[in-house]
Amino acid sequence: MNIKLKYFSWIRVKLKKSHDLIEFDQTISFKELKINLISKDPVFQEIFEDKSVKYFLNLTEIYDENQKLNNGDILALLPPVTGG
Amino acid sequence: MIKITYESFDLEKEFISISSVSNGAYSFFLGAVRSDLSSSNKKIKGIYLECYEELALAQLKKIRRRALNNWKLNECLIIHRIGKLDLGEKIVLVITASSHRTKAIEACEFVIDSLKIDVAFWKFHLLGNDEKEIVLQKNSDGKKMLKWKDIIN
Repeated sequence: MNIKLKYFSWIRVKLKKSHDLIEFDQTISFKELKINLISKDPVFQEIFEDKSVKYFLNLTEIYDENQKLNNGDILALLPPVTGG
Repeated sequence: MIKITYESFDLEKEFISISSVSNGAYSFFLGAVRSDLSSSNKKIKGIYLECYEELALAQLKKIRRRALNNWKLNECLIIHRIGKLDLGEKIVLVITASSHRTKAIEACEFVIDSLKIDVAFWKFHLLGNDEKEIVLQKNSDGKKMLKWKDIIN
């Protein structure tokens, strides 16, 4: 299954990319995704430790680390917003 | 009406687009790019606005709906620019229309306060020579939003 990750603001700058498409053999949870990402790039450790970062799955904010991710899901990593 | 756009907008044209004889009051908020110093005391040359457009549109719709319902507005228009903007350029326009001024003014303030902390836009200061500085959210914006907790359903 494929999950698209979208990065914004300082997260995009730190990772030097705006998105990723990640493949997994089976359904995983948000927590398992985090562990997987940290193992690939330590920058994710800093991102996930930052309590101000919000996570939106298919445009809805998620709070539960056990949330299951499905094929075609889009997960966005959002720092505090600064529009207006 | 909600719009996220790279293009500038015309105040009179936008006013006409929502004007109606049933409105006795309009309240406007116009945000613009001001001359400022970066955190490293460099003069900013402009700003760059990044956006997660699908999410920002959904969030703006929710804010607009809350403003319309809570203050029984006749109309609420929100336009937000994205991309590169020079000093002095317009960033955001909010117009609320109501029968009476109190509702229009309060609702307009609610919309811009909400937009500041709840909509997927991010500012960068442009410092010249391709140098950018990320603008951080102000604590005061979050505190300002607290006043609406008891007012909004």
